Amino acid sequence: MSSAQLEIQLIASLVAIACAIPGTFLVLRKMAMISDAISHSILPGIVIGFFITQDLNSPLLILLAAVTGIITVILVEYIQKTGLVKEDTAIGLVFPALFSIGVIMIAKNANDVHLDVDAVLLGELAFAPFDRLIISGVDVGPKSLWIIGTILLITIGLLFAFFKELKVSTFDTGLAASLGFSPVAIHYGLMTVSSVTTVGAFDAVGAILVVALMIAPAATSYLLTNELKRMLIYAICFGVFSAISGYWVAHWLDASIAGSITTMLGFLFLAVYLFAPNKGVIAVLYLERQQRTEVSLLTFLLHLKNHTEERERHVNHLNEHINWQKVRSKTVLDLAHKNNMIQLDKNIVSLTEKGEDFTSQAIDYIITNQDSKIEHMKDDFFLFRG
Amino acid sequence: MENKIAVKVDDLTVAYNYKPVLWDIDLEIPEGVLMAIVGPNGAGKSTLIKSILGILKPIAGSVSIYDEPYEKQRQLVAYVPQKGSVDWDFPTTALDVVMMGTYGSLGWIKRPGQKEKKEALEALEKVGMLPFKNRQISQLSGGQQQRIFLARALVQNASIYFMDEPFQGVDASTEIAIINILKALRKAGKTVIVVHHDLQTVPEYFDWVTFLNVKKIATGPVKDIFNDDNLTKTYGINYKVSIQE
Repeated sequence: MSSAQLEIQLIASLVAIACAIPGTFLVLRKMAMISDAISHSILPGIVIGFFITQDLNSPLLILLAAVTGIITVILVEYIQKTGLVKEDTAIGLVFPALFSIGVIMIAKNANDVHLDVDAVLLGELAFAPFDRLIISGVDVGPKSLWIIGTILLITIGLLFAFFKELKVSTFDTGLAASLGFSPVAIHYGLMTVSSVTTVGAFDAVGAILVVALMIAPAATSYLLTNELKRMLIYAICFGVFSAISGYWVAHWLDASIAGSITTMLGFLFLAVYLFAPNKGVIAVLYLERQQRTEVSLLTFLLHLKNHTEERERHVNHLNEHINWQKVRSKTVLDLAHKNNMIQLDKNIVSLTEKGEDFTSQAIDYIITNQDSKIEHMKDDFFLFRG
Repeated sequence: MENKIAVKVDDLTVAYNYKPVLWDIDLEIPEGVLMAIVGPNGAGKSTLIKSILGILKPIAGSVSIYDEPYEKQRQLVAYVPQKGSVDWDFPTTALDVVMMGTYGSLGWIKRPGQKEKKEALEALEKVGMLPFKNRQISQLSGGQQQRIFLARALVQNASIYFMDEPFQGVDASTEIAIINILKALRKAGKTVIVVHHDLQTVPEYFDWVTFLNVKKIATGPVKDIFNDDNLTKTYGINYKVSIQE
């Protein structure tokens, strides 16, 4: 592996981490689309900054672009507050307008500016190692590595300092306000970090991948955990994994690095969406099936408990009586038998002691709806997990 | 009753988009009462609480908590928002939500530690939710979620509690558990202010009541002012509620 390859992967990984952190909070605040808006509408900020500084990596340019990002958020909120249009419409109005101003500005000055729309949309990570930061004659590494590294350090610092404030204001704005943690300040703080990160990552990976790196890792980890800290850590891991594996996929296919990373993010999400242990599609289908069987089992047990007469408890009679198909009756019968809830005597079914107990407890629960009574049953049965 | 005034509201007017939701409210809530705020939908009950707590900005008027502005008295006040105002799919546990009640006394940046955790566990115990401390909040029933919110307010160890419809969507046993805790708070000398919907239970649960419908209709002891006259003025139709003596 050459040092340029290593540098590209390092930049991609740092960008992924820097994006995953604000991205997690954007996803939880249901503001995923605002990152899309910011990533596009900072274009005029970048162009104006470039006119002034003539340097794509100047801190002033990053600052100007971030300010454009904040202006986007303010405009969206202002339009939304009039009550005439909804938030998604407001976003759809604001960012294309700002983005197109940027496009026109580039087109008007295309002759003497090394900036084009393709590079802005898709970025070009492959060229990142060529733009070096030279300090008093010494080459200290690619400029974009320093830029995103600095942004990442600031982001991590802010995250550690304000984790509790971010959490409470994301979960419960009203409580945060009453406790004196200004939700407005935290909101704009998060928007500023998102804007700065977007600008910093923009040059390396482009506007579209920035959005993918903010939203996809967070959305993926949301399916896997019930704890905010873990969600952040998983999101970071997914981001870095996609960055590195995406780089090698691009290397192997000789294709765009940004495109490959985004594709990896998509595959990762799809895999988790299908196979996540609790929230995944397959797990949910399995759970529903299981619940259906258990409801059937309970219905069956209740029927046995309610009827003492033998003809109501004959195996063949049960088929037609409870109105199930043969296969289903057999599944339920087997399940009850396996759990020692019933005994069979010449095709007459009756409840065992365990079956009696279980059924009474279940009835108790259904009538009183008291969770404490069935805590110990929950491990065995999906039905009561709610 | 010659008590200190816990909450004082002066000429409070709040508007959404130029339409007044609360109009020139004057209100004095004495220390140590368990007070219901009642009124029809859209009467501004939640708005009143949110304005007192500085969550909404009034266009006129002022609020004081023990003669000082709210900003100086945050530590004395606990707030239970409406259950529906938060996203219960948020990735967090019951214990963690209760811990949020300690954030106010910690202030900015400082993190909760063992002491805060111990307080949160005690509060969970008080509302009977200790066995559920590590449960993800979306896995809790509506009543359990409300108890978690109550525990979070208890952990704030405040003097004044504001609660926005704590009985909404809870089962009967939770309702009894909650009202018993509220009565215990009053016994301990705390002031409890509750937005309440069920008029039938007002005389049984509360000793003080405020009738609200954009304007304040009446405020005072339940036994003196909870009558058909005030109910009719507030709800606009002829109300008949029998008061158990």
